[in-house]
This record gives sequence, structure tokens and C-alpha cells, in this order.
Amino acid sequence: MTVGELSKKCGFVTVCMPEPDREVSGCYIGDLLSWVMGRAQSGNAWITIMSNVNIAAVASLTDVAVIILAEGVILDESVVAVASQKGINIVSSDVPAFETAMKLGGCV
Amino acid sequence: MKELSLNILDISMNSVKARAGTVSVTLTETDETLEIKIADDGCGMKKELLESVTDPFTTTRTTRKVGLGIPFFKMEAEQTGGFLTVTSKHESEFPESHGTVTTALFYKNHLDFTPLGDIVSTVVTLIQGSPDIRWIFVHKTPRGEISLDTDELKAVLGDVPLSAPDVLVWIGENLKEQYETVGYN
Repeated sequence: MTVGELSKKCGFVTVCMPEPDREVSGCYIGDLLSWVMGRAQSGNAWITIMSNVNIAAVASLTDVAVIILAEGVILDESVVAVASQKGINIVSSDVPAFETAMKLGGCV
Repeated sequence: MKELSLNILDISMNSVKARAGTVSVTLTETDETLEIKIADDGCGMKKELLESVTDPFTTTRTTRKVGLGIPFFKMEAEQTGGFLTVTSKHESEFPESHGTVTTALFYKNHLDFTPLGDIVSTVVTLIQGSPDIRWIFVHKTPRGEISLDTDELKAVLGDVPLSAPDVLVWIGENLKEQYETVGYN
């Protein structure tokens, strides 16, 4: 399933989606960025509550397909600008990480 | 990172890469705060690099486009209500006094404070990795001070290299003893 399709199906809100046709496979949940850096897999949907610009860098390094911000976390506009420029897909979910992951069940 | 010691290791490696002759790692602790200062006499940074050094999409690496050493350190300091500053003098402009100083301030009682972790292992690892650099480690705590200067050790060791396994083990044990003496945990 692509990021665009997944987001629509799960009812996530698009924050920025420069690459809607990226395929999503698997999911990783974590907020300690250095930890995520070594564990998230290419193509994963990464669920986090972190909002620092560093999430864009970690997404870029790990090549995750999309960042899903749980609990309706809001990003600073400057972070959205960087993510868009670097080709990082970000969507927002208004429920906590567990419920967000449940929505992904069967899709990824 | 899970421990600030790992950040210290990471930031100090920048000093090694900058061809520093001396690197000072100074931790200054009060009951409320921890200041971590890493100062070197390496090549320093030019203004353009210095201005973008906290941007994760800036790096001196050639193998990838992302550098997270300073951005992570900054984020961890800010998460506690603290801050990070980097000052630098590039060798082209300051041939006699070049180098970089990275300072981070943490509020220890904040819930999001990252623990210092195994600082002794970090110091030993740094010495082991770059025994030719003069490492000066000072940890000032409210209860007393822990310190180590590899130049002083070299004067005592004579021909025995600093990177000899026995010496490294001794350095680790000596630091642990100093921590025990001041009653730091």
C-alpha cells in the first residue's frame, strides 16, 4: 500500500506528502531518536510524538516511508518546510501510538 | 541518546577529526544543573559551517548527508529547559588560537533529563582511541572534583604507551576510585 492510500484509509491528516506513492511495509514505534535511527527499517511507517526537526533527519537516514505523528502532535512550520524539501512524508493521527498502530493493522 | 556520556563521546570525536592536540572535557554540576563543555584546539570551523552546525542536514561526512551529533545534543539540552552553544575559531583566521568549544547546559531535575551514564568508559574509550591527544577530563560536583590529565600520566609512565591495556584499566579504576572518594553516584 502506498503512503497516500494508507493515510486516506486510516483517516490521518496530511502534514506534508512530497512522495505519496512510496510503498509502506511494516511499522516502527519510538521516540528516542538515536534508538530509532538504528532500528527503523526502510519503508516503515514510523509512529512518534517527537516534533523536533531531527525527526526529518532520522526519517531521511532510515529511509522510512512516512512519519506518523501520534496524539495530534503539531509541527513547527520550519520543520514542515524542511521535511517537504527533503522528500519526507508526514501525517498526523489524533490518537495515541497504540491506537494509531492498530489502525495500520492489515494495511502494512 | 540513552546516556549523555554517549553524546560526549560523539562530540569529542569531532575534536579528534579536527586534528586537536588537546581536548578538555569539563563537567560542572550543581544540585540543579549539569554543564558539559568540550573544548579543543583543532582546526575550528568557518563561519558558514558554524552557523549551520545545529542543523541536522549539515555534516562534514562525505558518506551521507545527515549529521546528528550536535543536533541530538542540543535537543537533549533543550528538552530539560537548557541550551547548547558552539563557538569556534578557524585556523585560517586564527592561526595561533583556533579551536572549538561546545557547551551544553542541562536541568537535572527535569523529567526529560537524559542520565549522564557511564562517563568513565567514555573517557577510557576516548584515550584508547586517540592516545596521542592530550585529554583533560574534569568533573566538578557539589561534593568534590574528579580529574584526569593524560599529560600528567605520560610523565609518570615514561616509555609505557597510554594505550597499553593495563594502563587503560588503571585509568578506569582510578576514575572510579575518585568518584567513590567524593561519594558521587
